[in-house]
Amino acid sequence: MTIDRVDVVLEVVKILLVVGLLLNVVPIMVWVERRGSALIQDRLGPNRVGPFGLIQSMADALKFILKEDVIPLQANKWLYTLAPLFGLLPALTTIAVVPWGRPFFIPTEVMYGPRVSGACIVGAAVTAILAIVVAGGTAKYHRKPNYSRLNFTIGAIVATALFLVALGLIGVMFGIKAAGALHLPGGGRLFEPIIADVNVGILLIFALASLSVYGITTAGWSSANKFSLFGGIRASAQMISYELSLALSAVSVLMVAGSLRLTDVVAKQTGYFVLFDSVKIPAWNCFSPAIWLAMIVFIVSAFAETNRLPFDFAEAEAELVAGYHTEYSSMKFAMFFMSEYIAMTTMSALVVTLFFGGWDVPWYNEPPTLAGFLLSAIAFLAKVGFVLFVFVWVRWTIPRLKYDILMKIGWKVFLPLAIVNIVLVAWFIAERWI
Amino acid sequence: MIELLIFFFFAAVAVIFALVVILHRNTVVGALSLVASFFALAVMYVLLDAPFLAALQVIVYAGAIMVLFLFVIMLLNLQHVSEPATRPIQQFLGYSGSAFFGIALVYYIVKYTVLQLPPGPFLSDARLIGVALFEAYIFPFEMVSILLLAAIVGALLLSGRGGQAPSPVRTEVAR
Repeated sequence: MTIDRVDVVLEVVKILLVVGLLLNVVPIMVWVERRGSALIQDRLGPNRVGPFGLIQSMADALKFILKEDVIPLQANKWLYTLAPLFGLLPALTTIAVVPWGRPFFIPTEVMYGPRVSGACIVGAAVTAILAIVVAGGTAKYHRKPNYSRLNFTIGAIVATALFLVALGLIGVMFGIKAAGALHLPGGGRLFEPIIADVNVGILLIFALASLSVYGITTAGWSSANKFSLFGGIRASAQMISYELSLALSAVSVLMVAGSLRLTDVVAKQTGYFVLFDSVKIPAWNCFSPAIWLAMIVFIVSAFAETNRLPFDFAEAEAELVAGYHTEYSSMKFAMFFMSEYIAMTTMSALVVTLFFGGWDVPWYNEPPTLAGFLLSAIAFLAKVGFVLFVFVWVRWTIPRLKYDILMKIGWKVFLPLAIVNIVLVAWFIAERWI
Repeated sequence: MIELLIFFFFAAVAVIFALVVILHRNTVVGALSLVASFFALAVMYVLLDAPFLAALQVIVYAGAIMVLFLFVIMLLNLQHVSEPATRPIQQFLGYSGSAFFGIALVYYIVKYTVLQLPPGPFLSDARLIGVALFEAYIFPFEMVSILLLAAIVGALLLSGRGGQAPSPVRTEVAR
């Protein structure tokens, strides 16, 4: 296989896009979490910075950067510093094998026409409205007694940036109009919206996910704090227990798809189940009679694997102060925060890919064009967003379990259920029902 | 060219971290270095066109076994273990013995394996590996599973205090 320059550029663009999106999910999810918890607990939540408090996360990030970075005297300095990286790197790289849209043929050239100008104008209008909303919100809070200059500055910067994006889109429109048509260098070739389409896709995800526990364990041990150590030890035992049921419940899906490649798993789900020769249901695995059991096991294990309530025993504020990151401050703490939310997003993407049809839009066959790709990518993002909201919803609804109950249901309920589901799927396949 | 660079980088990583495992006094650092060494080994498998094996290497060794090792090390809190002093004769026997086995290993690997390595690709597909395991190698496969079962039963027997299964009451008292 020869590699030419366009391939390299496309690959770099994909990586930048995905990693940029993942990193930007963090502030958005922090906002959703805080406002969502407030909604569930009948409070207001952070609503001072920007409209609906949307820019609160940026103020938080700035605060993290400006805080003093404390390393405990007794800590193992090397491991203490490296531990946040151990957590963040696997979380960031796992997404590489998840497909996030329909493959499409890149058009050779974009002619200037009503579609291009329309898209540019609508995009510019939306960003401009957002900018006005942010600016208005900032100006409004400026007059309130409890305004802070930092929040005002952040609001002003965001509003200006949004205005510049809107102006840029108008500029792009006039640029294409002046040139007549935009020639694309990679025209005619197939664009696959996945960073690495390897034939062991799901195994790679489990391999990297299993490494993510080292961040927590190392942090717990190197802090030289008994609460941290307890958090780290709990995390390692918990991960070992739930990785098994997570992987075994994914096996059911892989048996149906007949491949470890996630693009094949999604392709299998783009068809339909036809009921009574008339009702068409999308062939997503969550609607399959053989797999719903595995779906429940997988989603609950995903909560345990990402250390989210009701399974956040590594943190367990009520018992261990803050668990493994008790001693962490400043950006090191922020990196643990980031890796938690990024791991959550990756898990959601995996849940969507395995059980909710990936990028498939139900009852509609996307054409292999740019429009079809955008539609499927938006569908994928919407599904991931919904699963992420479920993560938040569950966290603020279900209280933390006891640790022995966690272990008990991991080994005595979920593991047998996952194995039962494998046998069930094997039976279905042998009978040629699916 | 790039493959060669990647190979030498990860070969160096594997060797350096393997050395850290045996030379560093801190057991936790040793365990984490072993994880890094295993990871570098997995990259070797990828370079050999065997991504399936690489993924299994990381899942089983780096992800599962080493987590258990780390768990036990942390639970026992083996942070500052002082080694008992060794006699010179013990040191001499240890070094010379391991040097002998190392040289013999390299000699036989060079003589018999590397020169006759079939040109890839190897069994990279999960389906091919499954077919090979359950058709050609079904007997060794089953034997290994029986061996592991025996080991599990043995571990349960040893941990079960005199052959009895620990009753709930007894664990309550122990806690």
